[in-house]
Amino acid sequence: MQVAVNPSDELPIYRQIMRQVVEGIAGGGLKPGEKLPSHRDLSEQIVVAPLTVKKAYDELEALGFIETQRGRGTYVCAALPKVDRDGQMERLRQDARKLLSQAYLAGLRLPEIVELVRSANRELTKKEEA
Amino acid sequence: MTPVLEFLNVSRSFKKGTPVLDGVSFSVGEGEVVGLLGRNGAGKTTLIHIAMGLLSPHGGAVRVFGVSPLDDPVSVKRRVGFVSEEQVLPPRSTVAELIAFHRYLFERWDDALERQLMDRFGLSGRDRILRLSKGQARQVALLCAVCHRPELLLLDEPAGGLDPVARREFLETSIQLLNREGTAILFSSHHMSDVERIGGRVVLLDQGKVRIDRDLDRLREDICVAMIPRASAPDPAALERLPGCLRVRPVFDDWHVVFEGDPGNGIRCVRVPLEELFIELVGGER
Repeated sequence: MQVAVNPSDELPIYRQIMRQVVEGIAGGGLKPGEKLPSHRDLSEQIVVAPLTVKKAYDELEALGFIETQRGRGTYVCAALPKVDRDGQMERLRQDARKLLSQAYLAGLRLPEIVELVRSANRELTKKEEA
Repeated sequence: MTPVLEFLNVSRSFKKGTPVLDGVSFSVGEGEVVGLLGRNGAGKTTLIHIAMGLLSPHGGAVRVFGVSPLDDPVSVKRRVGFVSEEQVLPPRSTVAELIAFHRYLFERWDDALERQLMDRFGLSGRDRILRLSKGQARQVALLCAVCHRPELLLLDEPAGGLDPVARREFLETSIQLLNREGTAILFSSHHMSDVERIGGRVVLLDQGKVRIDRDLDRLREDICVAMIPRASAPDPAALERLPGCLRVRPVFDDWHVVFEGDPGNGIRCVRVPLEELFIELVGGER
């Protein structure tokens, strides 16, 4: 698993770790049932306090993305959490509007915005294979 | 549970009438990491020296493992490790001699950890201290501070003056120690990115008082900064009365306003990295 943190990001470090694990799962780079490094190993790998990584893992576990099997390690859940599809659609529609208004203000046209989404998708789905 | 380190209303001045520390209270729990922040002269070093028993407080008290470091200096120092930017190591002795001296002082000395850190830092016992680079000297100091497996590490600007590579190595070693030993750490630093990495809680000293004492993640998520044109808000006192307002500071044509929580009232408030937050909270007016 590739995780990179940036202390000058606007998100706190545990949130950056959470985001990257969720992106890995969404993009298919992290498969259901796959084992994650222990929070101590990841903490040394990315040079971040162990409690910060543990906090990210705990929150991901509470959200149903990963599970800790005592004495064995931490795994991506075999069955990922069911999302409230209608509520999520509404949130995504709002996010899409925000993206569109920013892109139009930057002078982009719709086909360029669609290409932007495609290229972001390519990054998300192939990042983990590289 | 008794805290590992406890400051109770600590005051100290060097010149009459100008307190360096003015009623400082906070504690460090077992295995907790606390970053001590503040501008130069805010009192960080004085506070750490008081915790070590190198200085006595003029008011209030300090407790390390429940006892005063002045009453029982030996038993306290046995359980504490100390590294400071200003630490002077004996220049003519060799690394091996310095380590042997520390090993002699402490009953509990971890030879395996000593060997491991010597390897990791690439140190040779035959080198004389005066031949070491600043980074290597600090690594020797860290080794001497941790091989008796202290329950509390006091680090005063441990990475001050080190290049980015040496700083990162220092950080890596600290994090490995946290993983293996669960040592409680109080460290002062001006490197906000290091503070974010080593994490835990943040105590911000400002003019001798505790300005902020909070979990780092909560600090980053709860506190935000708004920039309001001075032309649109002529009266800063009105801004100060807004709920959650922590500070108003003029910066050129704007007010920079630090809020705890969402200020509402249609004010756009952004979350900022620790470095910016530090400047917004204790920076001067422009």
